[in-house]
Amino acid sequence: MSEKPSVLVIGGGIAGIQASLDLAGRGFQVYVLDETPTIGGRMAQLDKTFPTMDCSICILAPKMMECYRHPNIKLLTYSELKEVKGSVGNFQVKILKKPRFVDETKCTGCGVCAEHCPIEVPNDFDMKLGMRKAIYMPMPQAVPRMMTVDRENCIECKLCTKVCRAGAVDFTQQSQDVELNVGAIIIATGFDQYDPSEIIEYGYQKHRNVLTALEFERWVCASGPVGGHLLRPADGGIPKKVAFIQCVGSRSRKFGTPFCSSVCCMYATKEALIIREHAPDVQVYIFYNELRVFGKGFQEFVNRARDEYGVKYIRSRPGEIREEPTKSLSIWYDDTLTREIKSLNDVDLVVLCPALVPRPGNKKLAEIMGIELDDCGFFKVTHPLFAPVDASVQGIFVCGYCQSPKDIPDSVAQASAAAARAAEALAMVQAQRLGGR
Amino acid sequence: MTVTEYEPKIVGFLCNWCGYAGADLAGTSRLSYPTNIRIIRVMCSGRVEPAFILNAFENGADGVLVAGCHPGDCHYRSGNQHAEKRIEKTRKLLDLVGIGSDRLRLEWISAAEGEKFASVIKDFTEKLRVSGPSPLGKELVVEPVQHKATESIYDILKRTGALYCQECGKCSSSCPITRLDPLYSPRLAVEKALMGLENAVLTDKGLWSCLTCYLCRQRCPLDIEYDELIRSCRAKASANGILGNCSHEGVLYSLSRLMANPEPIQNRLGWVPQGAEIAKAGDVLYFAGCLPYFDVVFDDMGVKHIEIAQSMLKILNAAGIKPVLMENERCCGHDLSFTGDMSNFEKLAKMNIAAIKKSGASTVVTNCPECYRTLKVDYAELFGKPKFEVMHASEFLTDLIDNGKIKFTGKLAKKVSYQDPCRLGRHMGVYDAPRKVISSIPGVELVEMERNREGALCCGVSAWMGCGRHSKQMQIERLAEAKGTTADLLVTACPKCQIHFNCTLSEKMPVKKEEVAIETCDLSVLVARALNLTQTPNVVEMIKNE
Repeated sequence: MSEKPSVLVIGGGIAGIQASLDLAGRGFQVYVLDETPTIGGRMAQLDKTFPTMDCSICILAPKMMECYRHPNIKLLTYSELKEVKGSVGNFQVKILKKPRFVDETKCTGCGVCAEHCPIEVPNDFDMKLGMRKAIYMPMPQAVPRMMTVDRENCIECKLCTKVCRAGAVDFTQQSQDVELNVGAIIIATGFDQYDPSEIIEYGYQKHRNVLTALEFERWVCASGPVGGHLLRPADGGIPKKVAFIQCVGSRSRKFGTPFCSSVCCMYATKEALIIREHAPDVQVYIFYNELRVFGKGFQEFVNRARDEYGVKYIRSRPGEIREEPTKSLSIWYDDTLTREIKSLNDVDLVVLCPALVPRPGNKKLAEIMGIELDDCGFFKVTHPLFAPVDASVQGIFVCGYCQSPKDIPDSVAQASAAAARAAEALAMVQAQRLGGR
Repeated sequence: MTVTEYEPKIVGFLCNWCGYAGADLAGTSRLSYPTNIRIIRVMCSGRVEPAFILNAFENGADGVLVAGCHPGDCHYRSGNQHAEKRIEKTRKLLDLVGIGSDRLRLEWISAAEGEKFASVIKDFTEKLRVSGPSPLGKELVVEPVQHKATESIYDILKRTGALYCQECGKCSSSCPITRLDPLYSPRLAVEKALMGLENAVLTDKGLWSCLTCYLCRQRCPLDIEYDELIRSCRAKASANGILGNCSHEGVLYSLSRLMANPEPIQNRLGWVPQGAEIAKAGDVLYFAGCLPYFDVVFDDMGVKHIEIAQSMLKILNAAGIKPVLMENERCCGHDLSFTGDMSNFEKLAKMNIAAIKKSGASTVVTNCPECYRTLKVDYAELFGKPKFEVMHASEFLTDLIDNGKIKFTGKLAKKVSYQDPCRLGRHMGVYDAPRKVISSIPGVELVEMERNREGALCCGVSAWMGCGRHSKQMQIERLAEAKGTTADLLVTACPKCQIHFNCTLSEKMPVKKEEVAIETCDLSVLVARALNLTQTPNVVEMIKNE
């Protein structure tokens, strides 16, 4: 064990960030592992948050920077967990730090290399709607602010090497094995979006004006692929009618997942408000199944959307979306309250709200750490009521969406809980070492 | 029963104006004739459907007499001419199904011909005494209703997953029938059942409107087995004496029920062309299904479906396969099982399984997706997984092509679109095999309709349930979609889809014919054509000739 008791946090999203800041603030050494080149996670991709309508990155970026600057926090971005041995108080962890092919001590993140790079590939951060270069920073607010070379797509023209004034590009860089000794581990791997293309009747990836919710967040975000304008993806036209479809793959026994993702009703409402704020003349429809808006101020938020912003809520899961020759869409639905079966025509943009699912990588993580997942792929806890953050191995804790569906405030609260439980575990080990009990 | 005790039972359908009046005259003239006839008065001999006659036999008749006005004397101008055609058709059916056409008689008896009536009855009774009782024996014994009919609505809901219903309306907004007829919807059916309104569920006309086309089940996020739910509710309803509107007056159900009787020996192999090689036992069995019957029932629509069976047989022979054809093959029972007659369905299943077993076949090939589903899924559900494998023609043809057993030498320059039959596609998940077969024919270009594969629109009728306005609308919509692909040919892998499309194409319709007129063709016929084994008349041209 290093001098300071330390904790490994897996996942640099809002839950991981909160847990890390909490622990670092208590004087523990924290390592934050993230497989992507930047921390920030899903929250960094969002345009706004509900129910406060804050700019998401604006409130997240300071926390990301705090993590970066905190003397007790070390970021291990673009890295993978390889092995975990030992037990609470003494986990030996092996991490593979993938080569960025950019010297982290030299790169200033000025981005000149990307300007010159001739290769363009779809940017994962923008849900592949926008492009990035083969040498890239996923987003403008990336932390650490540093370029990464995507060797899969790089043609090794080495133009970046020539133009980098800091001399940071280094194609000889090798992957690095990092070995750590930590007292506790916190898992905060967040969620993935269910791919709704198997629900063929909604035409995702077939009809160009059908987007998923996360795609839509990037689509309307000022830092997104079209600079924050509300446009029809198929032709860049100005939409007049936008529809959201809830429960795409969630609460399902066939496609997707059996559980409720718990945030879609609210984020759809939020996105509807974003649209109305962008362009007050756009008609917005939300096809919902049940409005599960259970949090503080949530129902009021929906009421406001309905009453003040004129968002139309229709209780129905539409049967199919058909594309008209103009690329506009018509949605066939059964209004289950009025029992009318009809179609909503000339819809310019349909936003599907797919199930949010635990990351598929959780399985591998669970194997490495010897902990259990539930049937859906969420990390199991030892007691759902009284130990909601304790994984099935002592000293390993979980928080955020990877434990169960939840929104940002709940993820943050649970992250603090996990941090507190980790601190408690470390204190216990310390006390034992000091000869107590 | 010994022969001496046998008294023939004759059901007489007598036209009101002539036949019945003739019988009346025989009575008032105190003429004596055998008491073997039971008379049913109809307004015109032309009203007597093949189904009526088959029904009479089902219910124990040894002979059927239809009597109408002399040619030229019909009180409705041409009713007796219709009767003549229908009786001719029915005779063919009776021969096919093994009852024998000599048990049906059509006579022209005028109101003045009391004596003729008496002598016809005498003669017919004597002839029937010689031919012996109907091969059906006594009245059809219906076994006690089966499990599906005795299940409670709650159990049906539970078994089919309908208790999970979230009433989201995805089924109802997908249903092609609901879109045209909002009185029926899968959601409302489930809703009524969930509320415990058993009567409302069973007496709902919509119960019989459902096509069991599986589109709602395909899309239902809760995977509710609507097709099974509807089938079970229909079994329950029919056990309570509630029946739906069957198309063609139920003649096809009658035929199925007649085949469910073990006694009659069918004459169903008349279609086998001379020189074709067939076997009584062997590895591959070709299950022709009701194709020989279709051509008779739908002769006025120009249905020549036996060509499908003949094409398949030629292809199999060309591939060096000598298939087993069962002399007394019976209807698979699909239509009965989907209209609630589980008891006759089970009888058919039992006899077919036994006959297939006897043939020693390890592979059963069918052209009809309904047979395919029934043999493969429903039989297995009833009696456990059978020892033989069931393959649809499209799958079998794919194998033949893959193994080089059949080779296309020429080119068939056609643009082709493909109709996914609901039983083959959504019910059984066979989407690729027929497409593969089509695409492997040199020169053929496959163009997809907008709604294809899992999302394909049904042909509008299934299990011969109530073909009406909505069915026609669906067929027109689908044909227009096919026409819109600019294809020359609409290929189906289901003989029934083809019948339904051709029926619509041969009728008056509310749209211009050129917007929907497209030649239809069965997959096996297309393959046989591409192999130069057969020629098919062109449906589009036929329409222009009219």
